[in-house]
Amino acid sequence: MCIRVIGASNRRYAHIGDVIVAVIKEAVPNTPLERSEVIRAVIVRTCKELKRDNGMIIRYDDNAAVVIDQEGNPKGTRIFGAIARELRQLNFTKIVSLAPEVL
Amino acid sequence: MVLKTELCRFSGAKIYPGKGIRFVRGDSQVFLFANSKCKRYFHNRLKPSKLTWTAMYRKQHKKDIAAEAVKKRRRTTKKPYSRSIVGATLEVIQKKRTEKPEVRDAAREAALREIKERIKKTKDEKKAKKAELMSKQQKTQSKGNMPKGAAPKGPKLGGGGGKR
Repeated sequence: MCIRVIGASNRRYAHIGDVIVAVIKEAVPNTPLERSEVIRAVIVRTCKELKRDNGMIIRYDDNAAVVIDQEGNPKGTRIFGAIARELRQLNFTKIVSLAPEVL
Repeated sequence: MVLKTELCRFSGAKIYPGKGIRFVRGDSQVFLFANSKCKRYFHNRLKPSKLTWTAMYRKQHKKDIAAEAVKKRRRTTKKPYSRSIVGATLEVIQKKRTEKPEVRDAAREAALREIKERIKKTKDEKKAKKAELMSKQQKTQSKGNMPKGAAPKGPKLGGGGGKR
Protein backbone atom coordinates (compact mmCIF):
# COMPACT_ATOMS: atom_id res chain seq x y z
CA MET A 1 0.00 0.00 0.00
CA CYS A 2 1.33 3.40 -0.87
CA ILE A 3 2.16 5.78 1.92
CA ARG A 4 3.84 8.62 0.17
CA VAL A 5 4.93 9.75 -3.24
CA ILE A 6 8.56 10.81 -3.34
CA GLY A 7 9.42 13.90 -5.27
CA ALA A 8 7.34 16.75 -3.95
CA SER A 9 5.85 17.63 -0.62
CA ASN A 10 2.19 17.53 -1.50
CA ARG A 11 2.08 15.29 -4.51
CA ARG A 12 -1.25 13.68 -5.01
CA TYR A 13 -0.74 10.88 -7.46
CA ALA A 14 2.16 8.84 -8.65
CA HIS A 15 2.62 7.84 -12.27
CA ILE A 16 4.86 5.42 -14.09
CA GLY A 17 8.42 6.05 -13.09
CA ASP A 18 7.73 7.65 -9.72
CA VAL A 19 9.20 6.30 -6.53
CA ILE A 20 6.81 5.73 -3.68
CA VAL A 21 7.10 4.74 -0.07
CA ALA A 22 4.91 1.77 0.63
CA VAL A 23 4.10 -0.76 3.29
CA ILE A 24 3.73 -4.44 2.57
CA LYS A 25 0.26 -5.68 3.29
CA GLU A 26 0.64 -9.22 2.03
CA ALA A 27 3.75 -11.26 1.57
CA VAL A 28 4.52 -14.67 0.17
CA PRO A 29 6.21 -16.76 2.89
CA ASN A 30 9.94 -17.49 2.78
CA THR A 31 10.95 -14.26 1.11
CA PRO A 32 13.34 -11.61 2.44
CA LEU A 33 10.43 -9.14 2.70
CA GLU A 34 7.83 -9.49 5.37
CA ARG A 35 4.45 -8.08 6.11
CA SER A 36 4.25 -4.53 7.50
CA GLU A 37 7.69 -3.61 6.28
CA VAL A 38 8.15 -0.10 4.94
CA ILE A 39 9.89 -0.13 1.58
CA ARG A 40 10.47 2.01 -1.49
CA ALA A 41 9.17 1.02 -4.87
CA VAL A 42 9.05 2.38 -8.38
CA ILE A 43 5.83 2.20 -10.32
CA VAL A 44 6.08 0.32 -13.62
CA ARG A 45 2.49 -0.23 -14.73
CA THR A 46 -0.67 1.73 -14.17
CA CYS A 47 -4.23 1.36 -15.22
CA LYS A 48 -4.25 5.09 -15.81
CA GLU A 49 -3.03 5.90 -19.32
CA LEU A 50 0.50 6.98 -19.91
CA LYS A 51 0.81 9.69 -22.53
CA ARG A 52 3.95 9.85 -24.60
CA ASP A 53 5.36 12.78 -26.52
CA ASN A 54 4.65 11.19 -29.87
CA GLY A 55 0.96 11.00 -29.06
CA MET A 56 0.99 7.33 -28.09
CA ILE A 57 -1.25 6.40 -25.22
CA ILE A 58 -0.55 3.24 -23.28
CA ARG A 59 -2.81 1.69 -20.76
CA TYR A 60 -1.97 -1.38 -18.74
CA ASP A 61 -4.33 -3.82 -17.17
CA ASP A 62 -3.04 -3.56 -13.63
CA ASN A 63 -1.02 -1.41 -11.26
CA ALA A 64 2.41 -2.73 -10.46
CA ALA A 65 5.61 -1.58 -8.77
CA VAL A 66 9.08 -2.97 -8.27
CA VAL A 67 10.63 -2.89 -4.83
CA ILE A 68 13.91 -1.01 -4.84
CA ASP A 69 16.53 0.07 -2.38
CA GLN A 70 17.86 3.56 -1.75
CA GLU A 71 20.03 3.63 -4.85
CA GLY A 72 17.32 2.50 -7.23
CA ASN A 73 18.42 -1.10 -7.74
CA PRO A 74 15.71 -3.70 -7.51
CA LYS A 75 15.78 -5.82 -4.42
CA GLY A 76 14.63 -8.91 -6.25
CA THR A 77 16.12 -10.84 -9.14
CA ARG A 78 13.14 -11.28 -11.45
CA ILE A 79 10.48 -9.03 -12.87
CA PHE A 80 7.17 -10.15 -14.25
CA GLY A 81 5.12 -8.48 -16.93
CA ALA A 82 5.75 -5.68 -19.37
CA ILE A 83 7.55 -2.48 -18.42
CA ALA A 84 7.17 0.99 -19.84
CA ARG A 85 10.06 2.45 -21.79
CA GLU A 86 10.10 5.59 -19.68
CA LEU A 87 12.00 3.81 -16.95
CA ARG A 88 15.11 3.69 -19.08
CA GLN A 89 15.28 7.45 -19.25
CA LEU A 90 14.88 7.65 -15.50
CA ASN A 91 17.99 5.52 -14.97
CA PHE A 92 16.29 2.36 -13.82
CA THR A 93 18.44 0.40 -16.22
CA LYS A 94 18.66 -2.72 -14.12
CA ILE A 95 14.91 -3.05 -13.99
CA VAL A 96 14.62 -2.51 -17.73
CA SER A 97 17.23 -5.16 -18.44
CA LEU A 98 15.47 -7.70 -16.25
CA ALA A 99 12.07 -7.07 -17.76
CA PRO A 100 10.68 -9.71 -20.10
CA GLU A 101 9.15 -7.07 -22.35
CA VAL A 102 9.57 -3.33 -22.67
CA LEU A 103 6.72 -1.53 -24.32
CA MET B 1 9.40 9.89 -42.74
CA VAL B 2 8.03 8.05 -39.80
CA LEU B 3 4.57 7.48 -41.11
CA LYS B 4 3.95 3.87 -40.36
CA THR B 5 0.24 3.35 -39.94
CA GLU B 6 -0.79 0.47 -37.76
CA LEU B 7 -3.96 -1.50 -37.86
CA CYS B 8 -6.66 -1.42 -35.26
CA ARG B 9 -7.07 -4.78 -33.63
CA PHE B 10 -10.76 -4.44 -33.39
CA SER B 11 -11.98 -2.73 -36.53
CA GLY B 12 -9.03 -3.13 -38.88
CA ALA B 13 -8.83 0.60 -39.53
CA LYS B 14 -5.55 2.40 -40.07
CA ILE B 15 -4.09 4.15 -37.06
CA TYR B 16 -1.97 7.18 -37.89
CA PRO B 17 0.79 8.25 -35.52
CA GLY B 18 -0.52 10.28 -32.63
CA LYS B 19 -3.93 8.68 -32.70
CA GLY B 20 -5.41 5.70 -31.01
CA ILE B 21 -4.94 3.92 -27.73
CA ARG B 22 -2.65 1.07 -26.90
CA PHE B 23 -3.77 -1.43 -24.32
CA VAL B 24 -1.41 -3.93 -22.70
CA ARG B 25 -3.23 -6.84 -21.19
CA GLY B 26 -2.11 -8.78 -18.13
CA ASP B 27 -0.45 -11.44 -20.26
CA SER B 28 1.61 -8.75 -22.05
CA GLN B 29 -0.43 -8.94 -25.22
CA VAL B 30 -0.76 -5.56 -26.92
CA PHE B 31 -3.98 -4.33 -28.47
CA LEU B 32 -4.19 -1.26 -30.64
CA PHE B 33 -7.45 0.62 -30.95
CA ALA B 34 -8.21 3.34 -33.45
CA ASN B 35 -10.53 5.25 -31.17
CA SER B 36 -12.45 4.95 -27.96
CA LYS B 37 -15.36 3.32 -29.77
CA CYS B 38 -13.27 0.28 -30.62
CA LYS B 39 -11.73 0.34 -27.18
CA ARG B 40 -15.11 0.47 -25.52
CA TYR B 41 -16.52 -2.37 -27.56
CA PHE B 42 -13.48 -4.45 -26.85
CA HIS B 43 -13.76 -3.97 -23.12
CA ASN B 44 -17.48 -4.75 -23.28
CA ARG B 45 -16.52 -8.03 -24.93
CA LEU B 46 -18.31 -7.46 -28.22
CA LYS B 47 -17.13 -9.54 -31.11
CA PRO B 48 -15.82 -7.66 -34.17
CA SER B 49 -16.95 -10.46 -36.43
CA LYS B 50 -20.51 -9.62 -35.50
CA LEU B 51 -20.32 -5.89 -36.21
CA THR B 52 -20.99 -5.05 -39.81
CA TRP B 53 -18.61 -2.14 -40.05
CA THR B 54 -15.44 -3.98 -38.99
CA ALA B 55 -12.88 -5.49 -41.35
CA MET B 56 -13.23 -8.87 -39.67
CA TYR B 57 -16.91 -9.02 -40.46
CA ARG B 58 -16.29 -8.11 -44.09
CA LYS B 59 -13.67 -10.75 -44.42
CA GLN B 60 -15.82 -13.39 -42.86
CA HIS B 61 -18.80 -12.59 -45.06
CA LYS B 62 -16.57 -12.29 -48.13
CA LYS B 63 -17.46 -8.77 -49.09
CA ASP B 64 -15.37 -7.18 -51.81
CA ILE B 65 -12.90 -10.02 -52.12
CA ALA B 66 -13.54 -11.08 -55.75
CA ALA B 67 -11.13 -8.51 -57.17
CA GLU B 68 -8.25 -9.61 -54.98
CA ALA B 69 -8.69 -13.30 -55.68
CA VAL B 70 -8.38 -12.83 -59.43
CA LYS B 71 -5.04 -11.10 -59.17
CA LYS B 72 -3.31 -13.74 -57.14
CA ARG B 73 -3.20 -16.52 -59.70
CA ARG B 74 -0.38 -15.19 -61.83
CA ARG B 75 2.92 -16.80 -60.98
CA THR B 76 6.03 -16.63 -63.14
CA THR B 77 7.16 -19.88 -64.68
CA LYS B 78 10.81 -20.71 -64.88
CA LYS B 79 12.13 -20.59 -68.37
CA PRO B 80 14.72 -23.23 -69.29
CA TYR B 81 17.97 -21.36 -69.64
CA SER B 82 20.88 -22.92 -71.47
CA ARG B 83 24.47 -22.01 -70.89
CA SER B 84 27.80 -23.59 -71.75
CA ILE B 85 29.61 -25.73 -69.23
CA VAL B 86 33.09 -27.08 -68.97
CA GLY B 87 33.46 -29.80 -71.54
CA ALA B 88 30.79 -28.63 -73.97
CA THR B 89 30.30 -25.17 -75.32
CA LEU B 90 26.82 -23.77 -75.95
CA GLU B 91 26.93 -24.62 -79.65
CA VAL B 92 27.82 -28.22 -78.99
CA ILE B 93 24.99 -28.56 -76.48
CA GLN B 94 22.49 -27.01 -78.87
CA LYS B 95 23.65 -29.15 -81.74
CA LYS B 96 23.26 -32.28 -79.70
CA ARG B 97 19.84 -31.18 -78.55
CA THR B 98 18.58 -30.60 -82.08
CA GLU B 99 19.93 -33.87 -83.44
CA LYS B 100 17.19 -35.93 -84.90
CA PRO B 101 16.59 -39.38 -83.40
CA GLU B 102 17.48 -41.07 -86.71
CA VAL B 103 20.79 -39.30 -86.81
CA ARG B 104 21.47 -40.32 -83.24
CA ASP B 105 20.58 -43.94 -83.97
CA ALA B 106 22.79 -43.97 -87.01
CA ALA B 107 25.67 -42.58 -84.98
CA ARG B 108 25.12 -45.19 -82.27
CA GLU B 109 25.03 -47.98 -84.78
CA ALA B 110 28.18 -46.79 -86.42
CA ALA B 111 29.97 -46.76 -83.09
CA LEU B 112 28.75 -50.28 -82.27
CA ARG B 113 29.86 -51.54 -85.64
CA GLU B 114 33.27 -50.06 -85.09
CA ILE B 115 33.61 -51.79 -81.76
CA LYS B 116 32.50 -55.09 -83.24
CA GLU B 117 35.00 -54.79 -86.01
CA ARG B 118 37.72 -54.03 -83.57
CA ILE B 119 36.89 -57.07 -81.50
CA LYS B 120 36.78 -59.22 -84.60
CA LYS B 121 40.13 -57.94 -85.68
CA THR B 122 41.77 -58.78 -82.41
CA LYS B 123 40.14 -62.18 -82.35
CA ASP B 124 41.46 -62.89 -85.81
CA GLU B 125 44.86 -61.75 -84.75
CA LYS B 126 44.75 -64.06 -81.78
CA LYS B 127 43.71 -66.97 -83.93
CA ALA B 128 46.44 -66.26 -86.40
CA LYS B 129 49.01 -66.08 -83.66
CA LYS B 130 47.84 -69.33 -82.13
CA ALA B 131 47.97 -71.10 -85.45
CA GLU B 132 51.46 -69.79 -85.96
CA LEU B 133 52.53 -71.03 -82.56
CA MET B 134 51.10 -74.48 -83.10
CA SER B 135 52.87 -74.77 -86.39
CA LYS B 136 56.09 -73.54 -84.86
CA GLN B 137 55.87 -76.00 -81.97
CA GLN B 138 55.37 -78.86 -84.30
CA LYS B 139 58.41 -77.87 -86.19
CA THR B 140 60.76 -77.29 -83.26
CA GLN B 141 59.94 -79.12 -80.03
CA SER B 142 63.05 -78.03 -78.18
CA LYS B 143 62.45 -74.39 -78.70
CA GLY B 144 58.84 -74.69 -77.52
CA ASN B 145 59.36 -73.07 -74.10
CA MET B 146 60.33 -69.65 -75.22
CA PRO B 147 57.45 -69.03 -77.67
CA LYS B 148 55.12 -70.49 -75.08
CA GLY B 149 56.27 -67.89 -72.62
CA ALA B 150 55.58 -65.17 -75.19
CA ALA B 151 52.19 -66.54 -76.31
CA PRO B 152 50.22 -66.10 -73.06
CA LYS B 153 51.20 -62.45 -73.10
CA GLY B 154 49.91 -61.95 -76.65
CA PRO B 155 46.24 -63.03 -76.21
CA LYS B 156 45.87 -61.06 -73.02
CA LEU B 157 46.95 -57.83 -74.65
CA GLY B 158 44.60 -58.41 -77.59
CA GLY B 159 41.72 -59.11 -75.22
CA GLY B 160 42.25 -55.91 -73.29
CA GLY B 161 42.30 -53.78 -76.46
CA GLY B 162 39.16 -55.37 -77.86
CA LYS B 163 37.06 -54.78 -74.75
CA ARG B 164 37.77 -51.12 -74.82
